[in-house]
Amino acid sequence: MDLSLTDDQVAILDAIDTLSRPYAGASLHEAGFALPDAQLDRDLAEGGFLDIGFDPDLGAVSAALVVERLARLPQTVEAAASALIRPLLGDDLPRPLCLVEEGRTTRPVRFLREGATVLLVGPSGVSTFTATAAQVRAEAQALYGYPMATLLDVPTDRTSHAIPASQVLTRWRIALAAEAAGLLAAALDSTVAHVTDRQQFGRSLATFQALRHRLAEAQVRANGVRWLALKAAATLNPGDAALAALHAQESARATVYDFHQFFGAMGVTLEHPLHLWTYRLKALIGDLRGRGGQALAAAEALWG
Amino acid sequence: MDFDWTEQETAFRDRLRRLLADTLPDDWERFSQHGPASPALTKFAESFCGTLAEQGLLIPHWPEALGGQGLDPWHQTILAEEMWIAGEPRGGQYMNVNWIGPTLIRYGSPDQQARYLPPIAEGKALWCQGFSEPGSGSDLASLRTRAERDGDTYRVNGQKIWTSYAGLADTCFLVCRTSDDRKRGISILLVPMDTPGITVRQIPSLIGEGDIHEVFFDDVTVPVTARLGDEGQAWEIIGYSLTNERLGIPRYALARAALDRAVAVLKAQSEFDGEAVKIEAAHAAALAEAARMASYAIVDRRAKGEAIGAESSSARFATVMAERRVCEFIVEYLPEALADAHPYLKMHHQRGIVAGIAAGAAEIQLNIIATDVLKLPREPR
Ligand SMILES: Cc1cc2nc3c(=O)[nH]c(=O)nc-3n(C[C@H](O)[C@H](O)[C@H](O)COP(=O)(O)OP(=O)(O)OC[C@H]3O[C@@H](n4cnc5c(N)ncnc54)[C@H](O)[C@@H]3O)c2cc1C
Repeated sequence: MDLSLTDDQVAILDAIDTLSRPYAGASLHEAGFALPDAQLDRDLAEGGFLDIGFDPDLGAVSAALVVERLARLPQTVEAAASALIRPLLGDDLPRPLCLVEEGRTTRPVRFLREGATVLLVGPSGVSTFTATAAQVRAEAQALYGYPMATLLDVPTDRTSHAIPASQVLTRWRIALAAEAAGLLAAALDSTVAHVTDRQQFGRSLATFQALRHRLAEAQVRANGVRWLALKAAATLNPGDAALAALHAQESARATVYDFHQFFGAMGVTLEHPLHLWTYRLKALIGDLRGRGGQALAAAEALWG
Repeated sequence: MDFDWTEQETAFRDRLRRLLADTLPDDWERFSQHGPASPALTKFAESFCGTLAEQGLLIPHWPEALGGQGLDPWHQTILAEEMWIAGEPRGGQYMNVNWIGPTLIRYGSPDQQARYLPPIAEGKALWCQGFSEPGSGSDLASLRTRAERDGDTYRVNGQKIWTSYAGLADTCFLVCRTSDDRKRGISILLVPMDTPGITVRQIPSLIGEGDIHEVFFDDVTVPVTARLGDEGQAWEIIGYSLTNERLGIPRYALARAALDRAVAVLKAQSEFDGEAVKIEAAHAAALAEAARMASYAIVDRRAKGEAIGAESSSARFATVMAERRVCEFIVEYLPEALADAHPYLKMHHQRGIVAGIAAGAAEIQLNIIATDVLKLPREPR
């Protein structure tokens, strides 16, 4: 075992930091529930950062590291599915890649818009189609940290892919966990900064043990989600992936309301960017039938 | 990043498993319900550790010059996992090899090393650690057991409590006060337990016979040469010991093994078919694997010779979360395990309760994470 980043991985993450630095100055004050950024998306795609999973030498672990790092930005870009699932399908499919579970097609879909590739996965296999304007209803008022839309119609004419659905589901879970790891870390950092600065009763909020312990527990969770995601990316094992996604959804559930709570009223404003991370976590909590879905998948993989 | 075991590591684990299968008696699982500190297990451990020593598996992580093979922390972890999963057949001796020995290697005088290391390496020693006192638990630096210097000797007076193995131990790693300075006034004495003036009283406990004790020191005379390190150096030495101790008990591995065993029993009884039971089992597995990975991240840094700080508290707390969830799972879905139906699960459950207390309580780990990982400003004192 060697749990350090390779030189390549260090270089990739450094390059992402350099690329995203100009975006750090973006005004977050006018952000709505989500902060998509088309220019950042283009920069990342042109820089090849979303294609890292295609390179067998870099592989899924490097792709997961990219997803985790990008999730820490306040801006949201469709990276998780593109970086981790697209390598199964081929690089000619237009982005964004939108994940839809068979039998759950009426649920709001992240990044769905006209021209996006929709990937449908379930018992009848894996297929894709390019969404038309008529198939999409944007959910501009959705309470999520992603641009969301509802799929109005699933066409019968789809491209089917000769890969097992289980492989896609495994990578979906890894992508979810890697993204959640970055979101948890960023939300935690943001909350730590706030409770350190904010003074009440003549002292920093961070000196109250009731808050310290819950934040420390969030650190333990965020750390665990990150490691489980990376390990699952390394093994591509369905059980590892299900455990990682389960721990991600459970940890999101356990921490999101605490993070907002510790901001007091500031935590319910659009002025503070906290929601740009936590309201993405909220969207991930419901993926693939939520914690119960991941837990049953894990139980099946672990104990048959 | 590489999450695979090397061939050498896999072979090492296989070798340990074979040895355990060949050496442990048929009724081992029932037998191991005698806690690690019980007279029965202590006696068994002497012969078992002798076998390990003969095969070079008792102290393989020690330096070669001292009888070890200089194996890295990954091998040390594999050894700890396999022993702990098997119900710790080394009894209290795991403590000797994990941290008492390494601490003596680092801080002991040549005489102390010559006297104490060979019996540990041969599997013939049993130590106890005298840290906690009735008035000093989490706040260890408030300890009051006093060692008064008197020429070439110290005269020790005071009381220790919760001391594991004290009833059968031959030597005590005693932490005591040599001056009033809160942390720099603490020193370590290596004290033979048959020294006149020491009285040991066992404390009946939930975790089985012989584990925890009170130890009274009544005008106990100890030569100055029994001091480990300098006067006042204890705090530094303890810090070194505790990082080894905390890594030494891979509870996540036993928690996961117990969970797998419980699921196997439930399946055999056709009781692993509802969604609720599966979901709960998966949550427990996720916590155990998260704790395992958090622990491996620490081992990785140790293997690279990097300093380990508060991250080990994060791994510790993750382990407490896992241990609890597995215990809760078994109580809820396999209650007969706490009676006599499944000795292995009973053993796990009985010991699991201490996960959040021994070797530093869970809330103390959270305090450390808050201050040293999250860098939050300290609580007011
Ligand atoms: C099975 C077992 C074996 C042991 N073996 C040994 C041994 O061999 N040698 C030895 O010296 N000791 C031993 N101990 C003692 C162990 O080290 C102590 O129990 C431990 O350090 C906690 O101290 P305490 O029990 O006095 O609890 P306390 O310190 O009284 O703590 C009680 C509770 O209060 C919480 N608490 C305390 N301070 C704070 C704080 N500042 N902020 C928030 N919460 C706080 C704790 O986290 C805990 O939940 C053993 C204990 C057990 C259970």
